[in-house]
Amino acid sequence: MTRYPSTDSADELDALASEYVLGTLPAEQRLEVQNRLATDADLRTAVDAWEGRLLALTELAEPHTPGPRLWSRIERSLNSHEHRAPAQTLAGKSHSWWDLLPLWRGLAGAGLVATLLLGSMLLTRTAPINPTTYLVVLVAPQNQAPGWVIQASNPEEIQLIPLGATQVPTDKALQFWTKADGWQGPVSLGLVKPGQSLSIPVNKLPPLQPNQLFELTLENPAGSPTGKPTGPIQFIGRAVKVI
Amino acid sequence: MHDLYARESARLLGVAKRIVRSDALAEDIVHDAFIKIWTRAGTFDPARGTARGWIFSVTRHLALNFMRDNAHIVQVSEQSENAVLAEAALDVATEADTFEYRARSGRVYGCLEQLEPARRNCILHAYVDGYSHTEIAQKVGAPLGTVKAWIKRSLVALRECMG
Repeated sequence: MTRYPSTDSADELDALASEYVLGTLPAEQRLEVQNRLATDADLRTAVDAWEGRLLALTELAEPHTPGPRLWSRIERSLNSHEHRAPAQTLAGKSHSWWDLLPLWRGLAGAGLVATLLLGSMLLTRTAPINPTTYLVVLVAPQNQAPGWVIQASNPEEIQLIPLGATQVPTDKALQFWTKADGWQGPVSLGLVKPGQSLSIPVNKLPPLQPNQLFELTLENPAGSPTGKPTGPIQFIGRAVKVI
Repeated sequence: MHDLYARESARLLGVAKRIVRSDALAEDIVHDAFIKIWTRAGTFDPARGTARGWIFSVTRHLALNFMRDNAHIVQVSEQSENAVLAEAALDVATEADTFEYRARSGRVYGCLEQLEPARRNCILHAYVDGYSHTEIAQKVGAPLGTVKAWIKRSLVALRECMG
């Protein structure tokens, strides 16, 4: 079931792309493809070709004139965003990250979560013996929705705390990884049950560093067969020092 | 942006409505699609296809994501399974085309012509109606495994025919 670039033959890749564009992939595989499109140029090329091949079929859906309110609704939504991108940019002028709504939405969401968490920690903490040193908000790469928070309040262990229910296909598991700058590759911190807090001893690892990467990927139930992440990233974030 | 809306909104809404099967939901999808097109306009790469194609792709995939993510809810609301099956049996018996696909220009239509009607209907139910494998199997009254294999092979055939 698990597909990753190195094992896809050209035919398999094209079959995957065709069923994605046709629309017959189940939810989890659709998500997998959508995650992969960001990084997998071969898959993107195959999907684009299929979009082109089948586009004419959209003519079979009879046009349906929208009610007069739809445009004003779109206009209102557009006005509440940055006005930097005139419609002509469709022709190909490049945008910067500054204009990416999901990024700012995600950062605002992550900021809110961090504020609430820190606030609640201030309220509940009576004698700060071990002040929290690092905090990581893990967000979904697609829509930047915050999904988990990592708290490292002492050098021995870190806590992974879910912010909501995470859907994982029944034949898959979430695996937790970390990688600091300068490391050879990500190190597994074990499998994670969706929706459950987890304390993980990290005393075997080098001390946490600012900007250290943490991610949750979708893997086989027994974990990645290669010892390195192979499945799509579900949540990702970097450590910030909070003192 | 308004030009684009004036030109394509009716078609886009038609495409979305066919898939999500509700006026209100379809308008939500088209709304979201326009916001996405606006905020991602800079990421559009003309080398990857036409701008018009991109806009239709964005709309279709938003609608498909919605249907797949809410698959369990949709199934509950579809109680008339027996009616669907009965209708499907009729379709298969007559091997009739469910779609008015003839007399359309575009290469894909010529290639669809070469598929058997039942298989052609599977492809069109998937693309135009946004049906899942299971829904298509119910609709055309064929076993799920058969439908999956038909679709797989038909896509390969379309690719060979279209290049």
